[in-house]
Amino acid sequence: MTRDNRQTGMTFDEALTTKLRLAGWTRRDFLARVAAVGAATALTQLLIACGQGTGSSAPEPTERPTPGTSAAAQATPAITAAPTSPPEPEDELFVYNWAGYIGRQTVDKFEEKYGIKVTYDKFPDESTQISKITSDGRGGGYDVTYPASTWIPRFSVDGVIQKLDHSLIPNLANLEAAWQDPGYDPGNQYSVPYAWWTTGYAWDPRAIDADLTSWGALWDPAYSGRMSMLDDMRECFAAGAFRLGLSPNTTDLAELDQILAHLQEQKPLLRRYTADDIGDMVGGVVDLTHCWSGDWVQMTYDIGRIRYAIPSEGSIKGSDTFVVLSGAQHPIAAHLWIDFNLDAQISSENTNWIGYMGPNEAAREFIDNYIINDPRLNPPPEVLAELIELQFLEQPDLDQYTSRWTTLRAS
Amino acid sequence: MTGRPSRWLTAFAVLTYVFLFAPIVVMIIFSFNDSRRTFIWQGFTLDWYPALLSNDELLDPLAVTLQVAAIAVVGSTVLGALFGLGLARLRFRGAGAVQTLLLLPMVTPEIIMGISLLVFFTQLFGLNGSIAQISLAHITFCISYVAITVRARAANLNPQLEEAARDLGASAFGAFRHVTLPLLAPAVAAGAMLAFALSFDDLIVTSFNAGVGSTTLPVAIYSAIRLGVTPEINAISTIIVAVVAVTLLIAWRLGAFRNAASAAVFEPETA
Amino acid sequence: MTSRAAEAVPDRGGANADGKPGRPGDGLGTGLLVLPGVLWLAAFFLLPLGIIAVISLGSVDPGGHVTLADPSLRNYEQALRPEFLPAFGKSLYYSVVTTVLSLGIGYPVAYWISRHGGRHKILLLVLVMLPFWTSYLIRTYAWLIILRDNGVLNAFLMETGLIDRPWVIVDTDLGVIIGMTYGFLPFAILPLFVSIDRLDFSLIQAARDLYASGRGAFLNVTLPLTMPGIVAAVFLTFIPALGDFVTPDLLGGAQTTTIAKIVQIIFTSGRDWPYGAALGFLLMAVTISGTLLALRSLRREVIGTAA
Repeated sequence: MTRDNRQTGMTFDEALTTKLRLAGWTRRDFLARVAAVGAATALTQLLIACGQGTGSSAPEPTERPTPGTSAAAQATPAITAAPTSPPEPEDELFVYNWAGYIGRQTVDKFEEKYGIKVTYDKFPDESTQISKITSDGRGGGYDVTYPASTWIPRFSVDGVIQKLDHSLIPNLANLEAAWQDPGYDPGNQYSVPYAWWTTGYAWDPRAIDADLTSWGALWDPAYSGRMSMLDDMRECFAAGAFRLGLSPNTTDLAELDQILAHLQEQKPLLRRYTADDIGDMVGGVVDLTHCWSGDWVQMTYDIGRIRYAIPSEGSIKGSDTFVVLSGAQHPIAAHLWIDFNLDAQISSENTNWIGYMGPNEAAREFIDNYIINDPRLNPPPEVLAELIELQFLEQPDLDQYTSRWTTLRAS
Repeated sequence: MTGRPSRWLTAFAVLTYVFLFAPIVVMIIFSFNDSRRTFIWQGFTLDWYPALLSNDELLDPLAVTLQVAAIAVVGSTVLGALFGLGLARLRFRGAGAVQTLLLLPMVTPEIIMGISLLVFFTQLFGLNGSIAQISLAHITFCISYVAITVRARAANLNPQLEEAARDLGASAFGAFRHVTLPLLAPAVAAGAMLAFALSFDDLIVTSFNAGVGSTTLPVAIYSAIRLGVTPEINAISTIIVAVVAVTLLIAWRLGAFRNAASAAVFEPETA
Repeated sequence: MTSRAAEAVPDRGGANADGKPGRPGDGLGTGLLVLPGVLWLAAFFLLPLGIIAVISLGSVDPGGHVTLADPSLRNYEQALRPEFLPAFGKSLYYSVVTTVLSLGIGYPVAYWISRHGGRHKILLLVLVMLPFWTSYLIRTYAWLIILRDNGVLNAFLMETGLIDRPWVIVDTDLGVIIGMTYGFLPFAILPLFVSIDRLDFSLIQAARDLYASGRGAFLNVTLPLTMPGIVAAVFLTFIPALGDFVTPDLLGGAQTTTIAKIVQIIFTSGRDWPYGAALGFLLMAVTISGTLLALRSLRREVIGTAA
């Protein structure tokens, strides 16, 4: 199927090629059918043929609902040399995400709207996610997943994710200007920003009656035995780096040694390096913990008085994205999913539930005030500009971090 | 000729059972906790149980877990019991190596076992995880536990018994079935129980071998840890315990456990 | 006399023959028994492990991919860092204590079930396992509810005035040991039971008469006869305990890091599969040889004292 010359549409082409191969058709066959019965029908037949070919997820050869919201869908189904009607989505979708990282009804709403059955799997931690989707180099069987933005350059080079067909994601326009062209993925060619956060720390004012503002609080002997750090190598090193006035992305060995020494001073004061900071605070195990902004929101669901601060010496901001994996069996549905989640209403529901601010401009009017108005969850641009993103480290540099982190933890 | 049990011994055993069930009691109590996070008691509610019935996010993984456990238990018990029996009787130089082979899966860090199977299935077979793949993995690490348990029993078994049966005219298989197997039965049952516990609860190896739609309960629970371990998870565990307990009670009433432990051709009944 | 006496056989542990007469040890028969298991393990364990072993000789290129361009043992050299010794020591400490406690608690309980369980033996045994047919995470969180500073135990102790400040158990070695012992107890009780249950108690009675003391009978007769069970229990507790990093992670704190956790860190944060694999293999080698050595001396001790 030819596309407008202006659009690259490479993804769709690749998807089409894959489908053709699976169905055992040649392009000539396909074009002949298009001429005979129209693009929509021909595509449907193609997808059916693929389903029978692979045998794994045979789509029902009945009418399937056309996508509703996107503007492109309103285009005429009349078939010309450059048809503008969107391709029919498949009837299943495989999503791989963190638990609780989506609005409570988003999946149901998507399923209702498009009649696409969503299999929504979750992973317990990032390394499981990455291992799974890189296991076959193409996504481990999933269509969509949510990697941290730092992975995008690596994934695009390795071919783990596919270039997005923006024509299938008209809601991209909803993104804030700053997020239309992020540094890790200019032009959002391979990914779409999903949520972003800041790192800081949270404390219980009933136990620690103070206005904490500095990273020094986590080194304060007065709180010994009552505080924890995140069980996250980069975040801990970043905290140490900020305290020493260094960059959290440093690869200078002398600086890394300094940070290590500093962290070693801290260790005896710590209760734990935790993966469940939320549970620790809510359970009263610690009074002060290193955490992410969204975690703090979760804490307040149970204990409203807990406070959060972005330390004055500087801190981290990060973001998660969603991507379509290169081995996706349902690429059209995948694009539709992304488009759906970029819808202002849906996006705001996601944000409101997970507590992490989103990059969606159009959604702002629906986002709860306590998120929008809180400078810790939604810092003003000048503060945001000061925050630093963690850069992806090449292996030799990463090894330097790893050896020091393991030294710290093993002692 | 058992004599009365020492009071101290009985008290010790009872205390141990208390120790074993303490967290279960807590788990059951907190399944009625009126709070999203299972930690702090905030009042009594029965809501979590009906909520569980419509919670596919827990029920689907539970179904997967049970399927996997069933396959894993059957597979590992058969393979492991044969292995253990054979090992107890092995008399050639390779016996030491075979024993080491048995120990290896237990010694292997789970992340290494998980990753090795991930690489194996993905690179060599192009597979992306499934219930079958998880089950294969589970059988692999359960065999050792069954084998070692069975061997402990088989080590004290006298093969002359089996020979005697054969002299009396039984076939090799018949002797095995009527003499050896009943004597080994408790160990095989014990091994099966251990295998079930291991499979039911496995996290790391499973998470690397699961595929689309084949998440197990431990993976689902662990993935939700940052959201808080909701009382629904307590509720589902409570229900499982209750179902098993009720089944046991019925089986007991029906006399399933009578003499099972010592059931053997030669043993006198101890009152 | 019951034919139990004829059945009672001193421990051999199954591995090293001492050529007991009248025991042909059918080569082919037993070979067939072991074969299915061996084949399975060869296919689904050794082969995958072999792949990882090969990977352990490689390294990671700057692009983050495992490469075998320059195979060497450097990962193994690196894994022998002295900085890891404290973590290794911790793991060893936890495992040994857990095993000893599991045996110490498990043996009397297994004995009690076998001797005095009567008709309900299997039921009692199943009851031992029942708590473990639930979610590990739930059990651990339940322990947190019990043991933490503001938990059930401390509430009780403070209420009754036994202590006036919370007893800090969670995030310390004690918390980890309680959690691990709990987790491994059934793995000790069950194999101990299957072995103890084979005992002919008339033998024990005779031994008691002979030694004129319960302890003598126990040390010289009961214990050696149940050696296979003890060996099995040690295998099923000590070895997995050494590799358990989740319990020390959840119930322990910043100061209770185990070597298994270090391996985990290298694979996950470090993204260095070859290095992690090397460290893992080193651990495996140490664990197996250590266990086998310890058992040999244990067996010699126990059997040796048998009159």
